[in-house]
Amino acid sequence: MSGASGAAGAVVTGIGLVGPLGRTVDELYDALCAGRSGVTAPPADHLLAGVVEAAAFGPPIEPSSVLPPVEARVVDRGIVMALRAAEDAVADACLEIGRDVDARRTAVMIGGVGGLATMSEQAVARAGRGRFGISPYLLPGVLPNMAAARIAIKFGARGYSSAVGTACAAGAQSIGEGLRILRAGEADVVLCGCTEEPLFPAFADGFGNARALASGWTDPAQASRPFDRRRNGLVLGEGAGVVVLERPEFARARGARSYGRVLGWGASTDGFHPTAPRPDGEGAADAMRLALRDAGAAPDEVGYVCAHGTSTKAGDAAEASAVLAVFGPHQPPISSLKGATGHLLGVSGVFSAAVSLLGLRRGRLPATRNLDDPDPKCADLDLIRDSPRPADGAKLALVNAFGFGGHNISLVLAA
Amino acid sequence: MAISSDEIRDFVMQALTIMEVDLAEIHEDGTLGPAGADLDSLVLAELVVRVEEQYDIKFTSDEMELMGALTVREFCDLAVEREHVARG
Repeated sequence: MSGASGAAGAVVTGIGLVGPLGRTVDELYDALCAGRSGVTAPPADHLLAGVVEAAAFGPPIEPSSVLPPVEARVVDRGIVMALRAAEDAVADACLEIGRDVDARRTAVMIGGVGGLATMSEQAVARAGRGRFGISPYLLPGVLPNMAAARIAIKFGARGYSSAVGTACAAGAQSIGEGLRILRAGEADVVLCGCTEEPLFPAFADGFGNARALASGWTDPAQASRPFDRRRNGLVLGEGAGVVVLERPEFARARGARSYGRVLGWGASTDGFHPTAPRPDGEGAADAMRLALRDAGAAPDEVGYVCAHGTSTKAGDAAEASAVLAVFGPHQPPISSLKGATGHLLGVSGVFSAAVSLLGLRRGRLPATRNLDDPDPKCADLDLIRDSPRPADGAKLALVNAFGFGGHNISLVLAA
Repeated sequence: MAISSDEIRDFVMQALTIMEVDLAEIHEDGTLGPAGADLDSLVLAELVVRVEEQYDIKFTSDEMELMGALTVREFCDLAVEREHVARG
């Protein structure tokens, strides 16, 4: 399919997800449709016990299951989760790099904040033992490019590779950049995604002291409640998500299975404040309009919006203003996964894209968990509440992802 | 009391075990680098830091560059020399 820009889309041929609520995109989608929550109180033996009230935990992964034992000792869990997600995505795509695709035509784009949890641990060790506390493996274990680099090393990918560091917009932006690379003819296949490990005290306290975390909920599973009147902050989650994007002709020629297509993307910046969104949501609206134009789609063709919706007061209200402005009288059904998954930071855009594709294909769009009483500022949206909404033949979905700093990314997807 | 090369060798083998290195490749008269045990450059760097911490010594950058060409025995002997210097 061609967009208004004359540029082709990209085919999603594999998905690998690590995070709360399931080990595969099917499990995640089914859990969301069943209204389950991945948010819990931290286990008593976790570093966050007593630090936060609620968080969303991914499955345990033994680092030596994805890395040589000697390299598995000092490596951030973010990198470990990214490697597992990449393994799953590549296997899901039935792709062997070097056999099915030229290694030099295989690109890797993985976003995220980097290995700040391990950096924090090593800083503590440095304070105690001086330089002897620091491992020579520190840098390959924490640098923000290392998820992409280690995926490239594992699979022998030798084309373009990079890391996107736009906070909570990073995963969606990686997918957008992947589309750009394929359109430019610089690769046949791109492994795109994001990984985040924010569940350690220094980082969580950063959110907590900024008063961005949900608090005061007796049941942790109710703490994240996007667009709800009583929402009072986000719930941090950990995870990784990788999708395999391919040039349509390439995917067709090798007979790859398709989850759907990324048709276009839009990027804008608020240029306003380090953490707060523009209250009028104009930056977010710009990203959505650019994505629609890039995809060659009209607003009324969109049958689902997978919102950024983090459950913060200011963020959800600004996004609501933006969506109302972009879609006018034709408000598409909208929901946020974060009521159930918590906020996986940059990874959330990858989860949103994956779930949106499944929602379009299976004809059921998941509801926002804990949306009991819509905030009046959000009430004019067509909010999906309580139970999944039939997709009614919807063909296009729009995914939003907005990051601290004012980075706004929107993706337009087709089943 | 001065430290002996054998004691350092025992420490080195313990350190390599902790570091999850396969000891089957480590021989006293084989080199640490490509011609022998073929330890990764970061493994070698970590091993040196562990020995430096344990014996309160420091190897120079020039010595680090040559480390891969040393046998396990030569590396331990070098550490003994450094330790004697450090003790004055």
